[in-house]
Amino acid sequence: MMCRTDQSAPEPGEEQDVDATDAVFTSLLEDSAEELYEQAPCGYLSTLMDGTIAKINTTLLDWLGLERSRVVGRMRFADLLTVGGKLYHETHFAPLLQMKGEVSGIAMDIKTAGKQRMPALVTSKVKTSEDGEPMLIRTTVFDARERRAYEAELLRGRKAAEEARRQAEADRIRLQEALAVLQQSLLPPELPEVPGLETGSYYHTASPDLLGGDFYDLFPVGSGRWAFFLGDVCGKGPQAAAVTSLTRHTLRAAALHDADPVTVLNTLNTVLHDRYTSGDTRYCTAIFGVLEPDDGHFGVHLASGGHPSALIQRADGSADYLPTPGGLLVGVLPQASFTAARARLLPGDTLLLYTDGLTEARTGPDRELYGDDALRAFTAAQPPAGPKALITALSGLLASFGDGLDDDTALLALGVPAALPTPGAKV
Amino acid sequence: MDGKLAGMDIRRRNNVTVTGRADGPVLLLAHGFGCDQNMWRLVVPALAESYRVVLFDYVGSGRADPSAWDERRYSSLEGYAQDVLDVCEELDLRDVTFVGHSVSSMVGVLAAAKAPQRLSRLVMVAPSPCYIDDEEYRGGFSAEDIDELLESLESNYLGWSAAMAPVIMGNADRPELGQELTTSFCATDPDMARVFARTTFLSDSRQDLKTITVPTLILECRQDVIAPREVGAFVRDAIPGSRLVTLEATGHCPQLSAPQATLAAITDFMGAA
Amino acid sequence: MRPLTITTREAVTGPVLEITGDLDHETAPELRKAVDDLTFASGQLLVLDLAGLAFCDSSGISALLSARNLAIEHGGRIALAAVPANTTRILRIVGLDQVFAIHPNAATATARRSAAG
Repeated sequence: MMCRTDQSAPEPGEEQDVDATDAVFTSLLEDSAEELYEQAPCGYLSTLMDGTIAKINTTLLDWLGLERSRVVGRMRFADLLTVGGKLYHETHFAPLLQMKGEVSGIAMDIKTAGKQRMPALVTSKVKTSEDGEPMLIRTTVFDARERRAYEAELLRGRKAAEEARRQAEADRIRLQEALAVLQQSLLPPELPEVPGLETGSYYHTASPDLLGGDFYDLFPVGSGRWAFFLGDVCGKGPQAAAVTSLTRHTLRAAALHDADPVTVLNTLNTVLHDRYTSGDTRYCTAIFGVLEPDDGHFGVHLASGGHPSALIQRADGSADYLPTPGGLLVGVLPQASFTAARARLLPGDTLLLYTDGLTEARTGPDRELYGDDALRAFTAAQPPAGPKALITALSGLLASFGDGLDDDTALLALGVPAALPTPGAKV
Repeated sequence: MDGKLAGMDIRRRNNVTVTGRADGPVLLLAHGFGCDQNMWRLVVPALAESYRVVLFDYVGSGRADPSAWDERRYSSLEGYAQDVLDVCEELDLRDVTFVGHSVSSMVGVLAAAKAPQRLSRLVMVAPSPCYIDDEEYRGGFSAEDIDELLESLESNYLGWSAAMAPVIMGNADRPELGQELTTSFCATDPDMARVFARTTFLSDSRQDLKTITVPTLILECRQDVIAPREVGAFVRDAIPGSRLVTLEATGHCPQLSAPQATLAAITDFMGAA
Repeated sequence: MRPLTITTREAVTGPVLEITGDLDHETAPELRKAVDDLTFASGQLLVLDLAGLAFCDSSGISALLSARNLAIEHGGRIALAAVPANTTRILRIVGLDQVFAIHPNAATATARRSAAG
């Protein structure tokens, strides 16, 4: 075809492109079947049924680093493989090929020049005659170096992930155990036996994962006196738990030094206020008090730092708060005031301390706060049967709140056992 | 170690198949390393005409119960021999002709030594008592070869598992076998295959050959990379009264590549018994 | 669960934050941040208008205390306005009714100063 150089001819550039494409196409068509076979990007070979190589292409010969004359009619396919490949061939590949007539994508290593090995992917197919007799095997060999490297990467990655997972699991278990130990140490202790006094307690955390901020304790402070405290650190979690720990130890230490309730709370206030900066205010509410035995009853002297008032259940079935108005949260101001109160616990009386998880619980169809009045009424409705019975009744009440109770709750009840009725006495 | 696990059915554990004449002499066919009882499929139909044919898979191969796998037990040929004894006892097999392929021949030797009342004849198909060359003994592989093999098993186990896809079993030349879907042919767990391979290729049963007192047939292939001709001769010489037949076959699995010749040799041997 | 919204406006006396919704463990940090972001001049009064406050727990109390500390740090003062009944109750129990200046509404809170000034 002649090229038009005439300027008036339509789009001469385009015609030249067509020429170029035609030329390439023609040259492709001239690519002989032979060249396609010999220079294929993969290795080809054909073998007899016993594996003797009948035909092999140049690509594969080049990979093997072998002369055609050494291979054709003289070597078997298995001879091209490494020991592992040979074994795999004899025990898996050949039987599979026998049974199925074809096998594809099997990874084997072939031996290359200079005692090297080349990872390969092998596909073989049996050619049968018209009568179904197997005649020869055609095999394709793909260079699998990239794939092998990729597999090795995958394996490495998988091993690393396995190891990391194992390590993470081990770490998790270690942390879990450490956490359990710490949590144990933060729980309120078992209450001691106090001569002439009955005790009851209850402790419930709304969430087992978040360390609670409620605390209480009961311990001797000499001269037959017993100190008690119950309180609530603001917040939850490890930070609050640290404050709880500090608070408990400070109250105990202060009480052993001077058990006056207001003095003790002042000491705690100073410690908490000094310890925590304005960026991270940590405070608590607390009631601290001392029980002093006196001629068949106990005197109660207590002070409150911003904590709900204590409740006294009387032997005659009534119940009243022991008000301590105006006491401030502990740890908020450098100088704080704490309100003290006194009372007497006669035989059959029980003093109840609680955290606001109880009174702030939501109840009823309107999910109203349970409240102080309801608590007082509930307590008065219970027969005055001592601390343990009261705690049991209150536990039942808390359980009845269901999910209306979403805060931690602590209860501490201290009571003087009722006088035993003397025989013959008038009721 | 007690081979029987409490409560586990041996038939299920070893995927036992029983076929053929219920009143015929018993042939127990045991596969070697690589694949499973399907290796025998080309010879089973003919054998089933005259014999009671029992097939099984060793634990760790084929469709044997993988939960029964115990690496310690199956790291020694004794463990495999115990599988054989378990199967014999479960089916109460007597007067058994044990046909073992490759390393299974040696497993048969160990089993026969333990239970002479059950195994009365041995057929060894392409056996080898030891694969590693040793002073005057030619096993076919140098120590370096075996090291290379074991190393390649370690590094290439993804390759080993590439053949684990389900396979449609067809036989154009034996249409009566029909089309079956088998998920088990060559479907070995790579970790278990590694153990079986180690056990097989590091084994040395040459001394055990001396314990054989039963009639023994040895079949070898003319050209076998895994069990060269010297090995066949060695085994024949080690077992008094044994017969060596060289099949016109290449490769390591004559029961697949030359099933007719294999059949002929076996039935000939059984007829003479 | 009502989300917390904080609207800031300027009064003569200083910034007024109108707080509506729930002030709890989750939302308290938002109040802290809002107070942090204020530009506070010495002598100014920060008013927290709690007319729309629906819920306040101990975390909320903490946030109010933080606001107070911040105001004091900047040389200013703080007052609460229109405190809902329930929150008033809590403030009384913990004695903070003596610590915070409390006004019935924002207008009163911001008026006081200007009357004096």
